[in-house]
Amino acid sequence: MSGASPPSPPSRRAVVGRRVRKVDGFKLVTGRTAFTDDIALPGLLVGRILASPHAHARIRDIDTRRAKALPGVHAVLTWKDVPRVPHTTAGQAWPEPSPYDTYLLDSKVRFVGDRVAAVAAETRAVAEEALRLIEVDWEVLPPVLDMEHAMDPGTAVIHDEPDATGIRDAARNLAGDIHTHIGDVEAGFRESDLILEREYRTPRQQHAMLEPHIVICWLDADNRLVIRTSTQIPFHVRRQVAMILRIPVSRIRVIKPRIGGGFGGKQEMVLEDLCAALTLASGRPVKLEYSRHEEFFMARTRHPQILRLRMGVKRDGTIVAHHMRVLAATGAYGSHCTTVQGNTGSKVLPLYRAPHLRFDCDVVYLTTPQAGAFRGYGCPQGYFAQESLVDEIAHELGMDPIAFRLKNAIRQGDVDELSAQLGEGKKGLPRTIRSCGLPECLEKGAAAIGWKEQRNGGVRRPGRLLRGVGVATTMQGSGIAGVDFAGAFLKANEDGSFNLQVGATDLGTGSDTVLAQIAAETLGVSLDKILIYSSDTDFTPFDVGAYASSTTIISGGAVKKAAEKVRDDMCCFAAQLLDAPPEDLVCRDNRVFAPGGKSVSMAEVAVHALYKEKTQVMEGASHFNTDSPPPFCATFAEVEVDTETGRVRPVHLVTAVDLGVAINPMQAEGQAEGAVAQGLGYALAEELVLDGRGRPANANFCDYKIFTAKDMPKLTTILVETEEPLGPFGAKSIAEVGINGVAPAVANAAFDATGLRFRRLPIRPDAVLAALGGRR
Amino acid sequence: MFDRLRAFHRPATVAAALRLATAERRAGGRGAFVAGGTDLVVQGDGSLRWVVDLSLLPLRYVRRRGAGGGWTIGSTTTMADLERSAALRRFADGVLCDAAATAGSPQIRNRGTIGGNLANASPACDLAPPLLALDASAVIAGGAAGARKAAGGRRTVALERFFRGPGRPALNGGLLVEIVIPAPPVPRGGRAAWAFQKLGRLQSDIAVVNAAAGVIVGSDCRCRWARIAIGAAGPTPLRARRAEALLVGRPFDRDAAQAAAARAAGETRPVSDVRATADYRREMSRVLVGRALDECLERMGRDPWASW
Amino acid sequence: MGELVIRATVNGAPRRWTVAPGDLLLDVLRREGYWGVKNGCETGECGACAVLLDGEPVNSCLVFAAQADGRRIETVEGVAAGDRLDPVQEAFLDHGGVQCGYCTPAMILVTRALLARTPRPTEDEVREALSGVFCRCTGFKKPVEAVLAAAARLADARPAAPPAGRKPARKAAAR
Repeated sequence: MSGASPPSPPSRRAVVGRRVRKVDGFKLVTGRTAFTDDIALPGLLVGRILASPHAHARIRDIDTRRAKALPGVHAVLTWKDVPRVPHTTAGQAWPEPSPYDTYLLDSKVRFVGDRVAAVAAETRAVAEEALRLIEVDWEVLPPVLDMEHAMDPGTAVIHDEPDATGIRDAARNLAGDIHTHIGDVEAGFRESDLILEREYRTPRQQHAMLEPHIVICWLDADNRLVIRTSTQIPFHVRRQVAMILRIPVSRIRVIKPRIGGGFGGKQEMVLEDLCAALTLASGRPVKLEYSRHEEFFMARTRHPQILRLRMGVKRDGTIVAHHMRVLAATGAYGSHCTTVQGNTGSKVLPLYRAPHLRFDCDVVYLTTPQAGAFRGYGCPQGYFAQESLVDEIAHELGMDPIAFRLKNAIRQGDVDELSAQLGEGKKGLPRTIRSCGLPECLEKGAAAIGWKEQRNGGVRRPGRLLRGVGVATTMQGSGIAGVDFAGAFLKANEDGSFNLQVGATDLGTGSDTVLAQIAAETLGVSLDKILIYSSDTDFTPFDVGAYASSTTIISGGAVKKAAEKVRDDMCCFAAQLLDAPPEDLVCRDNRVFAPGGKSVSMAEVAVHALYKEKTQVMEGASHFNTDSPPPFCATFAEVEVDTETGRVRPVHLVTAVDLGVAINPMQAEGQAEGAVAQGLGYALAEELVLDGRGRPANANFCDYKIFTAKDMPKLTTILVETEEPLGPFGAKSIAEVGINGVAPAVANAAFDATGLRFRRLPIRPDAVLAALGGRR
Repeated sequence: MFDRLRAFHRPATVAAALRLATAERRAGGRGAFVAGGTDLVVQGDGSLRWVVDLSLLPLRYVRRRGAGGGWTIGSTTTMADLERSAALRRFADGVLCDAAATAGSPQIRNRGTIGGNLANASPACDLAPPLLALDASAVIAGGAAGARKAAGGRRTVALERFFRGPGRPALNGGLLVEIVIPAPPVPRGGRAAWAFQKLGRLQSDIAVVNAAAGVIVGSDCRCRWARIAIGAAGPTPLRARRAEALLVGRPFDRDAAQAAAARAAGETRPVSDVRATADYRREMSRVLVGRALDECLERMGRDPWASW
Repeated sequence: MGELVIRATVNGAPRRWTVAPGDLLLDVLRREGYWGVKNGCETGECGACAVLLDGEPVNSCLVFAAQADGRRIETVEGVAAGDRLDPVQEAFLDHGGVQCGYCTPAMILVTRALLARTPRPTEDEVREALSGVFCRCTGFKKPVEAVLAAAARLADARPAAPPAGRKPARKAAAR
C-alpha cells in the first residue's frame, strides 16, 4: 500500500524541491502567540512537583495536611489520591512495546527527581511553599547506579511492585533483552583472517530543546478536559491520559500549538497526566512546566550504553561476521527500552552486508533519570561503536576507510533480513533497499573535506596542534514499517485555497511546510493557497506523531493521497466548466487546464462546486508503509587536537546525505546541520553526570555544555538526491540520520591526527591529554 | 523566585546606598547589593528581604589616575564597557579588555559589572588574574571595618587580600566602589608586556583555568618585575609568587617562561569538580601560564613600546 | 514598601507598570503581553529571553523589573512595522534561520543590536553576537548566513556611506 503514483519530472515541479520559506515563519519571527505558554487564562493555577531527593526509597507515609491548609492551594495529590494504573509514558502506537511499569504517582520513588506529590496553587511561590509543607516519612533503599552491576545477585530490586507488566525479569532489574542473529557468527569468526573486539561507552545526553516541557489543562464549557501541550504525540497523549485517569477518550481534547523543539524528548507523555489530574482535582486551569534545572533530570535522556563489538574480516576487507553486544540503562522506567536498543542492532548492523550477524542486548533498570527517545533512537550509540571499529579494522588491513566501507556497504536491491527479526516489539518486516546514494555521499563528502590531502593515517606529527580527518557512514529509517500511519484531510475554499488538516506534529522541523508543499504540488496550486493546521485531536485526523523520521514519508503520503482525491474532485467540477473529460485536465498555476489550453481558475471551480453544485470538495486519506526506506549518510570531520590541553576542536564537518528527494532543500539542510550540532555535543561535551547518590551534578546550562554559534565549525551539507519509490515525490527522511555519524567521524579524525583511539564519549580533554601523555 | 523581597532601593549616591543597607540590616532580614544581577539572580536566594540597587550610582567610569599614571575603574562599569574601552585597549596590552571579553555571553557582559565580578569572589572570576597582575586594589566604602577608618569611610584593600575564599570577599558589609590600578613600574629603557589566557570546555564558558601574566624587563633584557596570576586553580584567584621570583633578575626568554610556568602550576591548589579534575587544572595552569608568558615575550619582541 | 510603580518605554510606547520588588523583567514582560520574550532557563545562560535595554541585548530573566524604570526596552514585537517585516526578519525566513522558532525573537534582537553597532560585521563578529542565544535546532549555519545577508541588504538600502570602521580584532582566548 505504497500509494506511489508515477513521479512528475523534478524540473516540472513548482513547489516540491523549492527552498521556500516556512509557512509558519511569520508568527515565529514576529513573536506572535504561538507556543503552549503564550496564552492568558483567567484563574490559571501553577502546578509544581515534589521531586524525590532519594534515588531509591519507599514512602512509608506522606502527610499533606499542612500543604492543603495553606491559603491559595487548590489541590495536593499523592499516590493516595489518584488511580493506580500501570502504563508506559512512551509515545508509541498501541499496544506499546514498552513495559507498563510507571504510575501517575507511587508510594515508591526510583530516581532523584521522581514524582512524590504535586500541588496546584494560585502562584508559583505558594505552590513551592506548599511543597515544603509536605511531610514524607522515607524508608531509604540502596540506590542502583552502575549498569554493569544492576543484575548482580543481591542488588536492590527497583520494580518490585506486583502489578507492572511487560518487564523481562524484574527480580534481576532486567527491563528487556534482545537476542537475534542471522547466519552463525562463530562460524564466521573461524573463517576470518582478522578479528577485532573492542568496547565503547556512551553517555546520558539530554535533549536540551529550548522550550522545556510544558502543559496547560482546563475544563471547557462542556466539562471536557482540554490539554494544551508541547508534545510530539498528541494522539498518544489523549489515549494515555484517558487510560491513566480512567476517563473516556471522548472527554479529552489535546491541542498541540507550536513546539519549541523536541528531538524525541517530547515523544513521551511527561507532564500531561499529572497536569490533567491537578485540573480535575481543582476544577481550575493548571499550568505544569519543568524549569530548565528539572528538565535535565526529570524529563528524559539518551540511553547510556556499553557496547562490545567483535568483527571478523577477510584479508581483502570483506566483513564476514559481526557480533554486537549491548548493555544499556533505561533508568528508573522502561519507556522505549527495547525499541531504542533494538534499533542499535537493526539500523546499524545491516549497513554492512555480512553473512553472519548477531545482536545481544540487555537493558537494565537503574535508579537514575529515565531514558527515552532521542534523535537517532539508539543509532548514535551503535554507529559510534561500529564506525569506530570498522575504521580501526580498515587501518589494520592497510585499506582506505572509504574503500573499506564501499566494499561492504548495503546497496540497492539488497534485502536486509535482520530488520525482519527486529521489529518494534514484535517481528518486523524485511527491508528492501530500493534507493541508495551512499557511494555518491562518500565521493562528494570526501571531495568536500579534502580527504586525500588532509589525511594523516594515524601518524602523529610533531607540533602542538594536530589535524586529522575522519569518516563515518550511517543510515536510519523513514517511519516504522507496518506501525506508523497517518491521516490527512483537505477541503476546498471558494477563493481557490485549501485547508489541510493533519495530525502530524511539526515540532520545529518544518514539517508543516513540507506537507503543505506536497499538497500544493499535487493540487497544482501555489504554496500560499494551502492553509495547514496541525494538530488538535478534535479537528485533525489521527497521526502517530512526529518520530522515527516518519512525517515526510508517512504523513506526507497521506497528504498526497488526500490531495490527489481533491484534485480529481476539482477536475470533475472543472470538466463541467471546460466541457472536457476530467481525466484530460491538468492542474497547475492555480488553474485547471483543458487539452486545448482553455482553463479555469481553482477559485472558479470551487465557487462552481459550492454555490452551483452545492458540494463541499473535501477528502481524507490514510497512509502507511510496509517498509522503512533508509536514508544514507556519510559524515566527514576535520578536527584539530591541542596536544597541550587535550582539546579536540572540530574544524569542518561535512554531511553528505541521501534523503531521497528533498521536498524543501533549505529545511533539509537545516535538519542535517542541527543534527551535527547535537552530534558534536554528544561527541565532545555533553553528559548528564550523576554523583554517588544518583543526584545530578550538572543540571544547568552552565555545566552541561551545548555548542553555541562560536563553537560550531564550518559546516558543509550536501544533499544527494535519489528517487525512493515508497516516498511522496521520491522523498525518504532527513531528521535523524545526520546525528549518527558525527561522534565516530570525530573520533576517527582524532585518531587520524594522533594515532589514538577514543572509545568513550564524550571525548574529554583530560582523557585525550592522558592518552597523549601515555604515548609520549 | 524573589517573592519575599519587600524592598527594592534605588539610591543615587554611595552614601545613600550605605545608609539604606545599614538601616535594613538593623531592621533585620537578609539583603544584598545588586548591580547587573548576573550572579545574584542566578544564585536565586529566595530568602532575600531587601535589595539595594547600584545601577544609579555614579560608578560607571574608566578614568586615568592623576598625573602619575594608572587607572581607576568604577565598580558598576560593565564587562562590555571594559571590553570596548579604547583607553584600556591601549593600556597593558589590553589585558583587561581581553579578560572582560571572555566573561559570559554578550548579554551577560552588557549587565555584569567589574564590581560584581570581583565581589562574588568566585575562584574562576575572569577579571581577577589580570587585575592581580596589575597590582590592583579594591576601594571599599562603609562596612563594619571601614566606617571608622580613613576619610569618607573608605579603605583600600590589595586585591590579593580581597579574596578570602570562594564567595568570601573582604567587604565586611561595605560596598566595593572602585578598582585602582597603579602605573606599572617600567624603568627608562625598559619594556613591559601583559597577556591573558583562558581555557573553558567550549568557547563560551566559565574558566576551567584562567591566567594572566605581566612582565617588565630592563634595557638589559633582564626581568625586573613579574606578575603571574591564576584563577579557578584554588579557593581564590592566586598570585604564583615563587614562579614570579624565578623570573625576576634573570634574562626573560622562552626557557625562563617555561620554568616559571612549571613552578606556577606547583603553587596551585585546584579541586576536582564536574568541569575538570584537579590534576587537569594543575596541568592547564602550567600550559596557560606558559602561553601567557610566551605571549608577553612575543609582544616585547614585536614592538617593545606596544604596551605604552 | 510593597509594590513599585515603574515607567519604561517599550517598543516606543510609554508603559506604566505596578510590580513587586522581586519581579523579574522577563515575567513582567510576558505578563504584560510581550509573548515573544521566551523563558528558556531563568539563569541567564540560554538567551531566549533577550531584549534590548537602551539598545543593548540583555537577558531579561536576570534584570529586576524595578531596574527597567526609566529605560528603553525593545522586544521582538516592536521589530516589524505592522505587517511589514524588518530586513532581519526577512533574512531569517529566506535563509532558513528559523526552525522551532523559540530562540528566534532573541536572535533577531541581538542581530539588530549588532548591526546598529557594526553594520558590516565579519562572520566571527556575527558568531560572537549570536553566542549568547542558544539554538538546538539549526547548528547556527543558517542563522549566521541570515545575519550576514541582512547586513548586506541593509547596507544596500542605505545611502552610500563611508565603509564602517572595524573595531580592533580581539585576540582569541586560549583554545
